[in-house]
Amino acid sequence: MTPPRLPFSRQPLRLIHDRIATGLITAGGVGVLLAILAIGVFLVWEALPLLTFGDALSLNTLSPLAWGTLKAALAAMLFATPIALGAAMYSALFMSKRLRSRVKPILELMEAIPGVVVGFIAGLLLAPWVEQQLASTLLVLVWLPLSAGLAGGLWYLASARVRQWLPLSWAGVRLMPWLAIMVTLALWLAPLMEQAWFGGDLRRMLDQQYGLDYATRNALIVGIAMGFAVIPSISSLAEDALADVPANLREGAQALGASRWQALRKVALPTAGPGVFSAVMIGAGRAVGETMIVLMASGNTALFSASPFEGLRSLSASIAIELPEASPGGMTYHLLIFAALALFIFTFLVNTLAEVVRQRLRQRYQRLGGNR
Amino acid sequence: MAWLSRPLRARATGSLLWPWLCAASVALSLLMLATLLTLLATRGLGHFWPAELEEVTLHSGDTVIGQPVREAPLPNAAGVERLYFTGNRDIGGESWRWVALDDIDTVAVPDDLIRLERAPWGDFIGRLDEVESAGQRFEDEAAWAFVAHAMTLPESQRPIAQLRLTAANGQIITQPLEGITRFQAPNAMSWEQKVVAWSERIWQFLSEGPRAANTGGGVWPAIFGTVLMVILMSVIVTPFGVLAAIYLNEIAHQNRLTRLVRIGVRNLAGVPSIVYGVFGLGVFVYGIGGSIDSWFFEDALPSPTFGTGGLLWASLTLALLTLPVVIVATEEGLARIPDAQREGAVALGATRLEMLTRVVLPMATPAMLTGVILAVARAAGEVAPLMLVGVAKLAPQMPVDGEFPYLHLERKFMHLGYHLFDTAFHGEDVQAAIPLVFATALLLVLIVLVLNLTAIFLRHYLRRQRGNEC
Repeated sequence: MTPPRLPFSRQPLRLIHDRIATGLITAGGVGVLLAILAIGVFLVWEALPLLTFGDALSLNTLSPLAWGTLKAALAAMLFATPIALGAAMYSALFMSKRLRSRVKPILELMEAIPGVVVGFIAGLLLAPWVEQQLASTLLVLVWLPLSAGLAGGLWYLASARVRQWLPLSWAGVRLMPWLAIMVTLALWLAPLMEQAWFGGDLRRMLDQQYGLDYATRNALIVGIAMGFAVIPSISSLAEDALADVPANLREGAQALGASRWQALRKVALPTAGPGVFSAVMIGAGRAVGETMIVLMASGNTALFSASPFEGLRSLSASIAIELPEASPGGMTYHLLIFAALALFIFTFLVNTLAEVVRQRLRQRYQRLGGNR
Repeated sequence: MAWLSRPLRARATGSLLWPWLCAASVALSLLMLATLLTLLATRGLGHFWPAELEEVTLHSGDTVIGQPVREAPLPNAAGVERLYFTGNRDIGGESWRWVALDDIDTVAVPDDLIRLERAPWGDFIGRLDEVESAGQRFEDEAAWAFVAHAMTLPESQRPIAQLRLTAANGQIITQPLEGITRFQAPNAMSWEQKVVAWSERIWQFLSEGPRAANTGGGVWPAIFGTVLMVILMSVIVTPFGVLAAIYLNEIAHQNRLTRLVRIGVRNLAGVPSIVYGVFGLGVFVYGIGGSIDSWFFEDALPSPTFGTGGLLWASLTLALLTLPVVIVATEEGLARIPDAQREGAVALGATRLEMLTRVVLPMATPAMLTGVILAVARAAGEVAPLMLVGVAKLAPQMPVDGEFPYLHLERKFMHLGYHLFDTAFHGEDVQAAIPLVFATALLLVLIVLVLNLTAIFLRHYLRRQRGNEC
């Protein structure tokens, strides 16, 4: 049975409704896009009055802050990039499917942890602890990769049954207790080594021999804390790029006799290279703009120093501290807005670059016959 | 491995060392996350457990009564010292004491030690001697029974009484009953009593306002402020985000410009949150707020009404910040709906509006929900922009009350994340506030994680459903 036709007189109303709704949606959509555009326009507009200050204007106040921002981002990237890329390579190519579907959401949760919590832990717990146990911390940083290699070596020497029982595809989880034991071991060994090599007090030795000051909250702490915060975003983007490499490329390499690692190193990595690069760029963009972690873990001292053991102050932290007190219209106000503009432009450029690279990469995969 | 030939050696390191290093990075990330969460959970929840009080006699004859907190090596000599929380700020001036382990003669855990939480001076730790109320004196058992009974009554019905207390150094003080918020003898408590006291304190933490310079009480106003701000924000962001996504995906012509716009929206998700804060301060607070003040609240000037940070501006700023999240998630959901569904609807005579509201939007609802939940999770943890647009250390008035118009959009509000930052870094007695900061951090992380888990499960469900359809 066909449904009864609507009376003719109702028809135009439907069309009018449709017109109105389309118009409203268009207006709403365009309005939202304009609002987003307004951010850039506002920042430029408010930074322009700086030109009227003429000679009184000194961008010098911003340069230690810019240096601090770069230093913090660099420290974070030095800590995060190897771990994030390693994790991406492992979970894209070695990890078992079942484990991967569980580890991925966990890494997403890691990304969601608020910066203020990470900063609090770093500034009030990690910083004093590292100050007391500097040698242990440095030893742990060196010892962890070595111990992972050691695990690989032991596994290689172990009997076939052990190898089957502890396959590489589950190592990402099974290594956790091993690493925990190794950290404990390093913490136990560190005071002995400090006694033997550095005369019992590494910090005093650094101070006397190299003239390095040690601030409780320093670039090292910021690097570790902010590294922790950017690891998940880098690794998930890089993993997507690596996992999307068409499987037939790797399979072809392995059929020609390459080991799994060689197939990854010589085929998958070069193909996915741009994607991995864009992941690192996006991570750097986040590290440059992150505010709360730097604010809480860095000591906020505007210094020009390359030492990892001295404090720093970043652009974003300065904005957060000083802008509420700056009088609107004053030079500080406009300077801080200029700093925000710089952050905006930098992250926008970096992200656009990364996005363009990723779109190119997607097209390349389609050409190569990716079927995912 | 010199005994291996070169190619073999290269192969051995290649297939052994590097994969294991990569595996170790995953393990390390998971380990760090687990450590962080365990740390927050144990320190945050452990603080509420009624800890045992120790009575320590030193070789010098002094007595210290307090709760052992932690141990650390002595600064300039071999040995270990222990930190005690001794309370009694009104008597000794200090509420913390380091005791070297070598100085300790005996440690006892007597049952009659009590811990009081009082209004002006913080915790008292010591002994209860007697209670005087309406001319009557109670001693020993009777005094205990009297105070225990009085504490069960609501605050307004408690009798007027004076407690005579002895501190560790033998000094005797009198304390009126009305200033006391909790009376505990942790050493005498059984395991079940401790569990009850523990859950009571957690409830207190969630339902009360901060007291004694954030070292006591709870975080209720901060929870309330956070939730209210997030609700307002999602009310603003959901319609606009969905509208923009529908426009981009269903109405606008798919050409170079829409592609550019899409890239732009995606990039905005990567712009630092502090930049949004600057925008909010400049445009909403000084620009729009200033104009509103000069038009409608002229008589209140120069003290600003809307021209200063407040609830409305904070929610607007965060709505702008989370807009890309909602747009991207909704667009993904819309793009997944097969075109055949739309064409079918149009072929059956539906107009575009009917097609959207009856076919497309119901199918995209889980995706929109995912987007909104992710936006809420992001907004709940974001602090930096709020510092510019209206968060307060201690808001004197809640943003919702019985006074017309009930919801005060111009008021400042408290926020969990900012409360955490402020207590941990600008507090008077940071040492005493740290346990509560841990509890606050745990609460914040729990909120954010639960929201994110919901979003992850929704997305998972969505993917599975799509798998069935195809």
